[in-house]
Amino acid sequence: RGKMEEGEAYSPDEVFAHLEMLEAQAHEAAVKQEETEQQEEKLARLQARVQELTFQRDELRAKVDLQQKGQLGKEGVVSDPAQPSAQAVLEWKIKSVTAMLQVFYLTGISGKLTKRGVCFCISTAYEGTYLDSYYLDLLTKPEVRIHRHSVPIFIPLEQIAKKYLQTDIRRFLSVLSDHLNAYVGRRYQADQLQEHFSDHIEGTLQRNSLCNLLVFNYNVSSKSKTFPFNARLLYGDLCRSLPTEAVVSPPPDAPASLAETAAAHSDLFRRVALHKAFGSFSGAEES
Amino acid sequence: MDETVAEYIRRTVVKIPRGEIKTVLQKWGFLSETQLQTINFNQIKENISQDVVQLCEENSADIKQAAVLDIIYNHIYPNKRVWSVYQMNKTGEETEFFDLTDFKKKFKRRLRSALKNVTINFRECEDNAIWIRIAWGTPYTKPNQYKTSYVVYHSQTPYVFISASVLKSNLPLLCQALVVASNYHDIREMELRSHSLNSLKDIVFKRYSQNFQTYYPRPLQERNVAPESADLRIIQENRNEKERIQRVNWEVFGDGPQPKLEFAQYKLETMFKSDPKMKVLDKKEPFRCLVKFSSPHLLESLKSLAPAGMADAPLSPLLTCIPQKARNYFKIREKKGLFPGSFVSP
Repeated sequence: RGKMEEGEAYSPDEVFAHLEMLEAQAHEAAVKQEETEQQEEKLARLQARVQELTFQRDELRAKVDLQQKGQLGKEGVVSDPAQPSAQAVLEWKIKSVTAMLQVFYLTGISGKLTKRGVCFCISTAYEGTYLDSYYLDLLTKPEVRIHRHSVPIFIPLEQIAKKYLQTDIRRFLSVLSDHLNAYVGRRYQADQLQEHFSDHIEGTLQRNSLCNLLVFNYNVSSKSKTFPFNARLLYGDLCRSLPTEAVVSPPPDAPASLAETAAAHSDLFRRVALHKAFGSFSGAEES
Repeated sequence: MDETVAEYIRRTVVKIPRGEIKTVLQKWGFLSETQLQTINFNQIKENISQDVVQLCEENSADIKQAAVLDIIYNHIYPNKRVWSVYQMNKTGEETEFFDLTDFKKKFKRRLRSALKNVTINFRECEDNAIWIRIAWGTPYTKPNQYKTSYVVYHSQTPYVFISASVLKSNLPLLCQALVVASNYHDIREMELRSHSLNSLKDIVFKRYSQNFQTYYPRPLQERNVAPESADLRIIQENRNEKERIQRVNWEVFGDGPQPKLEFAQYKLETMFKSDPKMKVLDKKEPFRCLVKFSSPHLLESLKSLAPAGMADAPLSPLLTCIPQKARNYFKIREKKGLFPGSFVSP
């Protein structure tokens, strides 16, 4: 009003411009208000939805709890709040089965059923060292027979199978395991001798595939002279890793006293593992 | 020193690749280290061989040392010859006490009793292998050092590996001597031949990779297939089939390297099956046909056939039975009534 009284100073254009401005302001305000109202509506809707979902979740939780309690109730066990999850139980089961299978494997004879029979694994060892594993793939129908195997050709597998495979499979496996373990034991001793005591051996160590006949010359020192003794070790029992016969001969030019040493060595070779026997020689010589 | 011995040594040295002559001579051990130092191994082989002969002259080499050098050469390069496998049989069940001295004596005695003019040399190599070199003569001529046969025998096994010379007529004699010396009753040739001596040993001694089912598996990481392409845009459409092929292949061939064979030969004596209207081969005679697979490494190539998409997995058992049956020569005859499938002769 104040402005109008001063009146004729404003032209009609100025008045229209002012009116337009006011109109625009009002429009903006109206739009803003609408937005705000819409936002508030949206918020309210979402809040309501949240409440709905929360309610549903609580319902389901209650159902699950009831079910678990109900099941345990049937088994008569008090429910343990710290009960392990199904996943953990499965993992524990797998672990214990694997451990059991490993125990069987370490005992030396383990087996697995196959589609047409059974596959055995014989693991060998000698005095605490695990050595090779050998496999037998057996078929059980129409009769028990060997399908494939990885047993060395010089082990008398066919003979052992002929004797025991049809009648007493336990005995078959036991005898075969004895043969294999004794073979790897003999081989291990011969290898150890060649590896660690090569300076005691004159010339080459004569051996064969089964390592059941060893012939070699070795040095024995007496009164600061060395004499080459000849040793011939015969392993008559293929299931044993010690010789059944040990012939030790001193050279012809050796003094008579060494005959006793030869006899002592012969006895030692029959009682003690070969590399250990040589180990004791080194000890004796040093002292 | 004998002229022929000198020439023989010279020719043996020339066969060796130049970079390895020194190693072979060291293994031979006949020339001392100081003597070997005097040779210039960078000159051409002809000159090296002359120097070696000169030194052998100083040491008075005879045919025995020359033969040993030859055995060593063949032991280091066995794949230059073709080896056949023979199997011996015995009926007795006594425990074997294989005595090498006894074996050598019996072998020499038996062979020489039939043919005086032979040079026989033995050498024990690692892995319990006994190498025998025989140079053949005739009842009227001295042994020809260039006509040699080689025998590789592992004690207490029924298998002998023979690389015969051109003189096939001496083979029965050789086989006889082996049987007598090793205390067996008879010997027969197996249908197994290859250049790779070690692969033949792997097959008959069952040292090749066979996969046995056990409960003690290797860690699964070892059996991972190659990682998939990192590019996520590439999708394997037939992944299931690929995995099936891998699995079947593994079951048949195992994980490790295959024995090295150069060929497999199938002699077919089966009837030609055609449309009766065609009237082909009406005489009902077996259609004789020879199928030969050759490869630098036959079993590895068979192993890669299915993964490469060139054959269906599993492969025909006629191909995959080769290591287990220990043969690469087969005769396939017509099935006889009750027996299904072709009859593979033993």
